[in-house]
Amino acid sequence: MASPCEILIETDDAELARQLCLSGQREARRIEQKFSRYRDDNIVHQINQGQGQAIDIDNETYRLLQFADRCYQLSDGLFDITSGVLGKAWRFDGSNRLPGQSQLDELLCTVGWEKVEFNPQYVRLPAGMQIDFGGIGKEYAVDKVLTDLKQHCDREIMVNFGGDCHASGPPAQQGAWMTGIENPLKPGDAAEVIRLARGALATSGDAYRFIVANGKRYGHILNPKTGWPATDSPRSVTVAAGTCTEAGILSTLAILQGKDAESFLDAQQVKYWCYR
Amino acid sequence: MKKTINAMLLLMVMVMMSACSSLGVKPWERGSLSRDDMLMDADALDLAFDEHIYFSKEASSGGQGFAGGGCGCN
Amino acid sequence: MQLKNKKIAGLLSVATCTLLGGNAQAESETWDIDSALLIYNETDRVSAIEPVINAKKDLGDDEILSMKLVLDGLTGASANGAVPSSQPQTFTRPSGKGSYTTQANETPLDDTFHDTRVSYSLNWDKPLDRNNRRNLGFSFSREYDFTSVGANALWSHDMNQKNTTLTGGLSLELDAITPVGDTPQGLTDMDDRIRVSSSEDRTLLDLLFGVTQIIDKNSLFQVNYSLSQANGYMTDPYKIISVVDSSGEPAYYLYEKRPEDRLRQSVYGKYKRQLDNKDIITTSYRFMSDDWGVRSHTLDLTYRVKMENGYFIQPHVRYYQQSAADFYHYFLTDTQAIPEFASADYRLGEMTATTIGVKVGKTLSDKHVWSVRLEMYQQSGDSSPDEAFGQLQNQDLYPDVDAVIAQFNYSFKW
Repeated sequence: MASPCEILIETDDAELARQLCLSGQREARRIEQKFSRYRDDNIVHQINQGQGQAIDIDNETYRLLQFADRCYQLSDGLFDITSGVLGKAWRFDGSNRLPGQSQLDELLCTVGWEKVEFNPQYVRLPAGMQIDFGGIGKEYAVDKVLTDLKQHCDREIMVNFGGDCHASGPPAQQGAWMTGIENPLKPGDAAEVIRLARGALATSGDAYRFIVANGKRYGHILNPKTGWPATDSPRSVTVAAGTCTEAGILSTLAILQGKDAESFLDAQQVKYWCYR
Repeated sequence: MKKTINAMLLLMVMVMMSACSSLGVKPWERGSLSRDDMLMDADALDLAFDEHIYFSKEASSGGQGFAGGGCGCN
Repeated sequence: MQLKNKKIAGLLSVATCTLLGGNAQAESETWDIDSALLIYNETDRVSAIEPVINAKKDLGDDEILSMKLVLDGLTGASANGAVPSSQPQTFTRPSGKGSYTTQANETPLDDTFHDTRVSYSLNWDKPLDRNNRRNLGFSFSREYDFTSVGANALWSHDMNQKNTTLTGGLSLELDAITPVGDTPQGLTDMDDRIRVSSSEDRTLLDLLFGVTQIIDKNSLFQVNYSLSQANGYMTDPYKIISVVDSSGEPAYYLYEKRPEDRLRQSVYGKYKRQLDNKDIITTSYRFMSDDWGVRSHTLDLTYRVKMENGYFIQPHVRYYQQSAADFYHYFLTDTQAIPEFASADYRLGEMTATTIGVKVGKTLSDKHVWSVRLEMYQQSGDSSPDEAFGQLQNQDLYPDVDAVIAQFNYSFKW
């Protein structure tokens, strides 16, 4: 998790706090090791190197795939965990280099969740395709850590991994967790402080990863159908929902809606903060 | 009658084989098709009423669904 | 619907629960209720009132349970099968108690007809995996002289990125008939009142195979083939057939009798398309043929016009044409040998029927929908067939049936 992570708990029992933080850290590491696509010793690597063979999976991996499948269906294909390969064509380093359409077209042939076959026992990717849990991994870790910790502790807890956070309930003293949303135009400054009693927040946006070419700004969230980012997207979208995973999916989909981000979020009847 | 039915079955199989592989849409193109009024069983209650009425007035039934009527009216 | 207007948050939340292994609030909190009231009225004959309620619930993960209750109250008179005569005719009631008289030159109608039917059905639709679904259904129906139980199973398999769906299924129905005044012996004189049993039964086995195919973003079609085998008592215990003398006047009446097997096949096709202006056109055609000699063609067309403010108007036309069953006769003569089977039930005769109607409705917020449907049904056949002779040439041997159908629908969440 390439971002600062914190677990907050309101208690005067220092030992309890230390134990919870350690166990939360262990669980977060476990998830990162298992599902990161930047490692070569985990299940994601095995699946991606499958060359068209069926790869045995465990229950947790199955549930994540099933969830990704659901999101793919609900979003009419806008959320697709096989779209990570498109990133090869884009360098979001603040430069002005756009990818060639022919390169994108070639990569698009290896994108398409509907080509993936999976069931509780195994998953089979056509050769050349890759999956990437980047779009749900961190949010899943937040929710999973919180769920685990709550089983050992009756105090309310807040898990915050780099701004994506989930609170089990309000802290007794303060009544709410104070959470800042960063203003993408002024990195480092909290644009707004949200009082979060329970539930989750997740943010998607191009605050750090974008390129500007021909006077247009291209963010790093790519549409799996076109290989291009949506145009006229908000710079950042923060969504409040019951879990961090839901908030994360909704904020990502909102970015992909471009100028329709707000109307999409209105239709979801969730609280959100968009910065344009 | 057998001939007609056989010809129709053959036609059906041919339509299936030739059409199904080339027809269709991508998952994100299903916008219109997923609307309630574009479902094959849209107006389900109307269809059920019609099936019941015509079952009791004519010698044919079924087709879209099973032919049984569960009714002593015919 | 475009994603920007589609509400996915609820379903997403359900999916997240499954992911996190929490106690899934997997099920949706509400029931989808469809309710309707049908009023059916034939000129001078049967009328019916039929309320229906259907409740459907998503149990989560696309597993859907639905229940349906239908009540059907029927009153009025229905043709007993006898031909009109230049003299008044008197018939014994099916119960054997009392009689009714039909005036000269009028179609004999049995007015003892009233009945209340209650029918329940239950349907359980469950995904087996990503591409397969299973649907199980049970039904039970009861009326004064008739009881029916049925079960069916349908399996559907999605292919080609869910653009093609194959369906296969079977249905079994068991019917018990307990006629008022017991079961008459077929083709015996009505006045002899020969009874063979107090109850009869029949079974129906149906097989259905279908393909549904998405053609493009705006259209799809479906083709079904079905095979239906019925065995048992299929005679109408209340229907008779006139045996006429050389002047065409009824000499006596026989109870009708139909074969104890019937094999039906049908091919059904349906095509649906949304036009550029968002109107929807739906057409269907059915060809049915059975070993009783009946063949029929049914054409159906609806056109749904989208209006402002959620209103829609949907005109409907249906055309139906059937040939007569081999054993259908307008009447028998007293000089001919009695055939093995005979029925004068107009529903087995050669006929055409047309329906024209219109439905108007409005979608209110959150999928509350009301609609009203009004249709006119007219059935007609050959009223002066070539075989008519004597006084029969002056009679209407196949009177038209005219009916008006009015229906009110209201769908809501509860």
